[in-house]
Order: sequence, then structure tokens, then C-alpha cells
Amino acid sequence: MSLTRRLAALVCGLTLSAPLWAADVDIESYGYPITNPFEATIATTPPDLRPSLPDDSDIDQSDYKILLHPEREYELPDNLWAVTKMKYRLAEQDGEAPLIFIIAGTGAQYSSSTPEYLKKLFYGAGYHVIQLSSPTSYDFMASASRHATPGLSEDDADDLYRAMQAVRAQHPDLKVSDYYLTGYSLGALNAAFVSKLDEQRRSFNFKRVLLLNPPVNLYTSISNLNKLVQTKVEGINTNSNFFDLILGKLSRYFEQKGYIDMNEAMLYEFQMSKEHLTDEQMAMLIGTVFRFSSSDIAYTSDLLNRRGLITPPGTVIKSNTDMTPYLRRALQCDFDCYMREQLIPMWRARYDGGSLDQLVNKVSLYALEDYLKNSPKIAVMHNADDIILGPGDLGFLRRTMGDRLTVYPLGGHCGNLNYRVNSDAMLEFFRG
Amino acid sequence: MVKKILLLALLLSAESAWAETTPPIGEDGFKNPLERLEFNPGLDQHVFEQSSFQALDVYDPWESINRRIYHFNYRFDEWVFIPVVDGYRWITPDFVESGVSNFFANIGDISNLANSLLQLKGKRSMDITARLLLNTTIGVLGVWDPATKMGIPKQREDFGQTLGYYGVPAGPYLMLPILGPSTLRDGTGLVADFEGLATLDFLDFFAFSFDSPQLEVSTLWAIDTRSTVNFRYGQLNSPFEYEKIRYFYTEARKLQINE
Repeated sequence: MSLTRRLAALVCGLTLSAPLWAADVDIESYGYPITNPFEATIATTPPDLRPSLPDDSDIDQSDYKILLHPEREYELPDNLWAVTKMKYRLAEQDGEAPLIFIIAGTGAQYSSSTPEYLKKLFYGAGYHVIQLSSPTSYDFMASASRHATPGLSEDDADDLYRAMQAVRAQHPDLKVSDYYLTGYSLGALNAAFVSKLDEQRRSFNFKRVLLLNPPVNLYTSISNLNKLVQTKVEGINTNSNFFDLILGKLSRYFEQKGYIDMNEAMLYEFQMSKEHLTDEQMAMLIGTVFRFSSSDIAYTSDLLNRRGLITPPGTVIKSNTDMTPYLRRALQCDFDCYMREQLIPMWRARYDGGSLDQLVNKVSLYALEDYLKNSPKIAVMHNADDIILGPGDLGFLRRTMGDRLTVYPLGGHCGNLNYRVNSDAMLEFFRG
Repeated sequence: MVKKILLLALLLSAESAWAETTPPIGEDGFKNPLERLEFNPGLDQHVFEQSSFQALDVYDPWESINRRIYHFNYRFDEWVFIPVVDGYRWITPDFVESGVSNFFANIGDISNLANSLLQLKGKRSMDITARLLLNTTIGVLGVWDPATKMGIPKQREDFGQTLGYYGVPAGPYLMLPILGPSTLRDGTGLVADFEGLATLDFLDFFAFSFDSPQLEVSTLWAIDTRSTVNFRYGQLNSPFEYEKIRYFYTEARKLQINE
């Protein structure tokens, strides 16, 4: 056999067998009912297909505060008084148990709905659970981050790691058998870098680490989300804006229903009604949430570092200061603008950084390729229709993770995390 | 050769025709969800900015004092109200908690009924009357809520909504101490509802809890109300929470009045 033929055979073999290494769940046996990725992202799983979870009243839990940067109490302006200390939530089991850390996704707080759901799931399975805010959440930026300029994954992991150590030290009586780690969305990328850091610092020796719907190329994910607010939505003009359109639909929906009823099933039922949102409208809704997070990040980072891009230098902000002008300015800054104006300049000044491409390689999962390949304790769960991925991202995960990657055919971005099939798989993975 | 090129062209065109309906699935199984969306042309991309700027436009002439009250409420919630509510929840068994909630809710149904009548909403008034009758009798003075189980859910109507229904504008935005976001119209409505309840004095409740020195009952009422409202200051997790609450409140009230 000639060399070219052998090479061809090798390439064929690789391309044919590569998808087989990863556990691909086929669409028929999966049974997830929402085939639209945008709808899945917004409405998540219909209530009767979710796992049974313990009630809040059955969980021994509390919010705690910890002062990580004492100087911030004096540095932060009055309007940020509530976030000078880092807050987190701990749910305790009686006696010794494994402990799992949950890192929230982009802009999300420790107490937002997905970490709450994951807490209930793992608490019900017998874990102590600690919920942490995302390094991109304004409370974390103000209270726990050293440079308050999130986006450099190694720095973010370092901040998280210090926070986790401080949290652990605040509960010396908590009996822990083993440590586990998980995160969803951006929190999953953070978890991967935290796990890498743990290999050196060895405070926790995580036994297993699960990445749920991580971005692979951070810039692809950001560009995708940024693009969502540019979708073409009918019926928006100078008199009626996008929010009016959505609220109008809600109003008509409730009118038909006869009464206002906001619950978990509502979004799902709403999408079944004739007022349902189009793909473009749902995409814009998701994009809007991301844009609001982006402007919070841009505002907070600028304020804490006194860059003067949004808050002019020397401005005194009191608790009654009209913040609308700053919000207006921040709303005009999307994540791209934040990277251009704040993240890259900071990276260049502090770490002698280079081009955008270099930054993207450094902060994305690519930077951990070898580590992920050789760490059997790490697994990834992802969806084939996740809106934060781009072409080739799943291929990277397949090559890197092999059979430690599970690809679900549906679910959009994190929409199937609370589907019973997924929750069983998550618990199964940690059970080992 | 020509045949081959033709075939290729045919294949390509077939593929692109198919691509318009479902985006092509990548070699790695990726479904390309963004491919199915239609985007605005590059120079016409301002929907988000325009929409959010308009959302900031709420009539708020008393902003300075409102913001101070917002921060006061935030602190009061964090340092006093929520710890008390948590303690209350920890001490009382679940069935007592829900009994207390139901009892106060049943008294509240009086003003729901009055406002529903004022808005000439026939079906809703009948529903609330049925609720009151069922819950006060079978539900033992409202401690149980059999009406909801029988398919008559609770429906809220307040005097602010009634005023809104007859076209009274919301007026300036108002952040009430402890009670939270409101407007001049809705704040007035709140006072009217309270006065109305006190005058009617259903089940001798007001005589018992406010005129005599039974301060415990009114305190319990406040604690129960706070514990049934899920909102927590800081929950919107943004340095611009004041603006966001202001927008959500005004829009939610519009929804309630329309329905």
C-alpha cells in the first residue's frame, strides 16, 4: 500500500470513528420535546419532565458574606455598598458528605435560577453545595476580583480559587469527604481553568469536574450572543420598541387566559399559544439579556479601575445620584466594546499581551487542550444545537475529550440541564 | 469534464436550496442554530439601544428621594426584614405558615372583590365571591384555601388598578419606605384599600389587630406579606437595579390593569 493510500485510510478512519468516540445521544431515544434551540434556551424543560427536587424548606442553607478585599469598603462608591463583601450560598448536609462547588454563568449571581436548580439536584443526592457568582457578575467583580476586569480566564480562575479557599476556611466544622466542581456556560469554562489551577495549588484535589455547555472559543460565543440583538424583528418602529412588542404579546396572552399566572409552565404554554414568539424575537430576547450583562460588566470594570470611559474621573457618586446617564453610556458598550476598550488594553499593560487572536487562544478551552486530553476526571456535556457554539467547536471537543464528551441532540443553550435524562447523567458522572 | 462540473453545480444548488429550511449539520454534528435567523443589515442595527433607551424613560421627578428610599429599603430588608422572615419560617411549621397566609389572603379578597365590582368585571366578581364564601366557611375563616383546589384561583385587584382602569394616569414614580415600588396613583390606591378594609372590618379583623393593643397580629401580617413576596433587593444583580425595578414595576402594572 502506498503512503498516500495509507494516509487516506488513516484520515478516513479518524473522521469516521471520531464521532463514535463521544457519547452521542440519538434524537429518538432522547425524548426532549423542544426542538427549537431558542425556545429551549428560554423556557427550559416542561415541568413534568424535570427531576423531582427537594423543597427549599427541606434544605439546610444560608447566604454568607466574606470580606476578601477590605480596601473595597472604602473605595467603592455609595451605590455599590451592598457588594463590598462577597456573598455565596452554602447548603449543608448532616455530618460528612462530598462537597460540590457550582460556578454560575455569564453575569449570573450565585442565587440565580440555574445554580439554584443545580443546588437542589446535588443536595438531594447527598452533597454539601456551595454556589458562587460568576467572575463576570458585578457583585463578584466588586467584592472578589483583584483586577475587576473579567475575561482573562487564568485570572478569573485565580480569583475564584482564592474565593473558594476563603469560603472553605469560613466553615472549619463542615465535614467534607471529597471535592467536586461544576459550572455551566461561562462558569464551565471557569471550572476548567480552576481545575487546572487546582493541580498546582492542591487545596481541593477535585475528584471529578463536569463542564456543562462551555464556550469552546470564547470569542465565537460572544460574537454569537452579540449578534442576537441584530435579528430582524417585524413591527418595531420609532413608536413601539422591542420590549413593548413582547409585553403586548404577554398582555394579550393573559387577557385570553383570563388571569395573570406566572409560573414555571407559563413560558412553555405561552409558546404554545398564538401569541408565541418567532425565532428572531426569542433570539433578540436572549441577546438582550446578554447585552444588559455586558453593560453591567463594562460599567463596573470601568468604575473600579477608574478608566474614565463611562464614569468620568473624579465623579462622586452618592446613593441618590441619578445613574441614568451612566447606564445610557454603558448600554452602548457591548462585549466587543468592553474587550476592545478595557480587557485588551489591561492585558497588554499588565501581561505584555498581543493581538486579539492571541487573547482568544489564551482564554478559550484551546489553552487547556493538553490538560483536558489527559485528565480523565473531567467530562463535558453539550448540545448539538447550542447557540454559543460555532462550526468546528464540537469537533474540537470530540478530539479533545473523546468518550468523556456527551453530545445531546437538542436543548439549545443549557435548556435541557433540568431534563430528567440530563440530571440523571450528571449525578451518574459524579457517582463515578 | 463538463458533465462533472454540471453535476457539481447541481449538487451545490440543491444543497443551498435545502439549507434555507434547515441549516446544514456540520461534520462534527453541530446544527448551526444561528443560520436559521434573519438579521438586520449592518447599518440598521440599533433596535437594542433604541428599545432600552425608551425603557429608561419613566416619569420620576422625585428620583433623588426615591433612590435614597430604595437604598434604605435594601438595607432594611437585608438587616431586619429578611432575617425576621427567615426566623419566622424556621420556627413555624409549614402548615401554620400557609394557614396564616391563607387567612390574610382571605381578608384581602374583600378588597379584590370591591375593586373587581368597581371595574364592573362580572365573571371575576362572581369568582371572588365564591372564593370568599367557600374559604370562610369550609376553609374555617380562611385558614384553608379549598377554592383554589376547586379551580377558582386567586385574582388580585386593587384600587390603583381600578383607578388605572378608568384612565387615571400613573403619575410620578414613588418608592415607598418598606413597601417598595409604587406610583402616586397606586400609593393612593393602597391607602384607599386599607381604609376600605378597616371600615368594612370583615371578621372583626381590624378591631382586633389595630384598635386593641394586639400589635402581634399586624406584625404577623407584615411578616407574612414579606414572606409571600419573592422579590429580594439585589436579586436583579445589577448596579442599575433601581432603573430596572422601576421599568419592571411600571410595565407589570400596565399588564395588571389591561387584564
